[in-house]
Amino acid sequence: MEYKAPVEAYTGVVREVIIGEGRKSLKVGGENILPLHFFDQGSNANPARFALEVLDLEPQDWPEHLIKPFKDVISEPIKWAKKCQDFVVDAVSLYLVSTDPAGKDAPADKAAVLVKEIAEAIDVPLIVYGSGDENKDAEVLPRVAEVCHEMNILIGPVLKENYEVVGRAILEHGHTAIAQSPLDINLLKELNVKLSKFFPSDRIVIDPLSSALGYGMEYSFSLIERVKQIGVITKDSMTMMPIIANLGDECWKTKQAKESNEQGLLWEGITALSLLLAGANIIVLRHPETLKLVRETVEAR
Amino acid sequence: MVYSRYQTDKPEVINTVIIGENIHVIAQAVSTAIRERDAKVIQNLAKAQAEAGADYIDLNVGPMKKDPEENIQWLVSIVQEVADLPLSIDTMNPVAMEAGLKACQKRPLLNSASGKTDSKEQILPLARKYNCDVVISVMTDKGMPPDVDSKIESIIDTVTYANELGIPNDDIWVDPIILPVSTAGEGQRFAVACLEFVKILEDVLPGVKSTVGLSNISNGVPGELRPLLNRTYLVMLGKNKLYSAIADPLDKELMSLTKGEMPEIDELVYKTMDGEDIDPSTQSQRELEYVKTAKVLMGETLYSDAWLDS
Repeated sequence: MEYKAPVEAYTGVVREVIIGEGRKSLKVGGENILPLHFFDQGSNANPARFALEVLDLEPQDWPEHLIKPFKDVISEPIKWAKKCQDFVVDAVSLYLVSTDPAGKDAPADKAAVLVKEIAEAIDVPLIVYGSGDENKDAEVLPRVAEVCHEMNILIGPVLKENYEVVGRAILEHGHTAIAQSPLDINLLKELNVKLSKFFPSDRIVIDPLSSALGYGMEYSFSLIERVKQIGVITKDSMTMMPIIANLGDECWKTKQAKESNEQGLLWEGITALSLLLAGANIIVLRHPETLKLVRETVEAR
Repeated sequence: MVYSRYQTDKPEVINTVIIGENIHVIAQAVSTAIRERDAKVIQNLAKAQAEAGADYIDLNVGPMKKDPEENIQWLVSIVQEVADLPLSIDTMNPVAMEAGLKACQKRPLLNSASGKTDSKEQILPLARKYNCDVVISVMTDKGMPPDVDSKIESIIDTVTYANELGIPNDDIWVDPIILPVSTAGEGQRFAVACLEFVKILEDVLPGVKSTVGLSNISNGVPGELRPLLNRTYLVMLGKNKLYSAIADPLDKELMSLTKGEMPEIDELVYKTMDGEDIDPSTQSQRELEYVKTAKVLMGETLYSDAWLDS
């Protein structure tokens, strides 16, 4: 008897989210199959997107081999962001580390102006992460949203502690939100439910927190995989959003990555490939050579 | 017929035996009352549960490291003064267990034994010695069996062992151990496994009864939402012929459900479990909440604390 491989069809569709405006805009998500299930019925509407990191403050604890590709621009975030484009990125991801109250505690206004300058200087969409301090972000991110009115920046992290104030500002000024929860699918869904009460679900990207290889990556993997399964297979409206895997920092702060460039590239590359397999839609990397490595691997299929 | 005592005129609805959970050392008031020999506090809890329709009163004294015999004997005697109900002696301490069982006037429930070696050697024989009903959980030396098959496998072993000690199936109440549905990733899987376990138990071990620690399903959930999870899960377990539950008899709606006084809710939850389409526009707010909660407990929609909002 001839073997016929089963072909599955799913009912859920990950929402297609647009980031950036006009000619700079980019679509993410939109798939109605599980990750890499090209043999099933359905399609990946958009390929995985890759972004490189930019910090608004010269990094202090990066090893020499990590600074090297950006050595000449590392203290000038606008130039750094422009240089990212030399490495063929889909987006640039800016971290407002200067605003961290435990660090420099830079004011919201200053950060917001920089975000606007960078968004205008580059030809790809911008992703912006606040410091992660729930209170400071509730000042900084709304200001960023306001100053960059209608530029459709992907802004986060929107947390359960500050989703109302941050979410409303993102909405009001025409941006897209990163809803972040701490590696827990129930909390992830809860935040999406609460946010969706006033915020359009097709303008939310999920950040489930990404851990590095050897440092808990399997938790991130299982979680991303589960979010996709519940969205695509069981059609849970509150998990049918694209996922951003923000993994550069987690990978490069490992002992292994700091020891040597080669280890660092592989650490970041393997983590990125694993989370792609799990179903991540946007991958944020720190080293341009990792980007090259991962792209080559993905596109060689 | 095993369930005849609890059968009502509606063939589908079986009254669940409720073991009142409110006398529990984790409650500060209870542990203080035991320490200070304040009978009134405990007796009030016992009376309230008896009046609310509990079938048993559970005396959960935990490990009871200090003066186990004196403490449990005092508790049993003061509760028996005010409540004409059988007691469930709930402790891991074999000394307290024996003293408690000995002091009971009505045939008590030993709560609980398990497949752990210690329990098999020190607790389970007491059920034979005092000729009482006994709760046996699926726990073994290897811990908590994670799925239906391993739960069944372990309970067959322990029940067989109990039979060899001379404890008949009719005296055995099996507890699959309910875990909180809110446990990240796993909780819903466990909730589904317990439903399935209760459903097939009768076929696997004819004559044994089932029991669950119901309120544990909603542990860790915001307080105001807990009763709805407890109630819905009770109806669902009831559909699968659950015999008894350790639960809160002071929850009036829960008690109405156990008595089959809310057949429209039973029917709605049963339909949900059977995958029938329910038109939300024909449902009241409360009915919709039962439907949504049932879908979470059967693993159909992903749990979040906001499950009623989505």
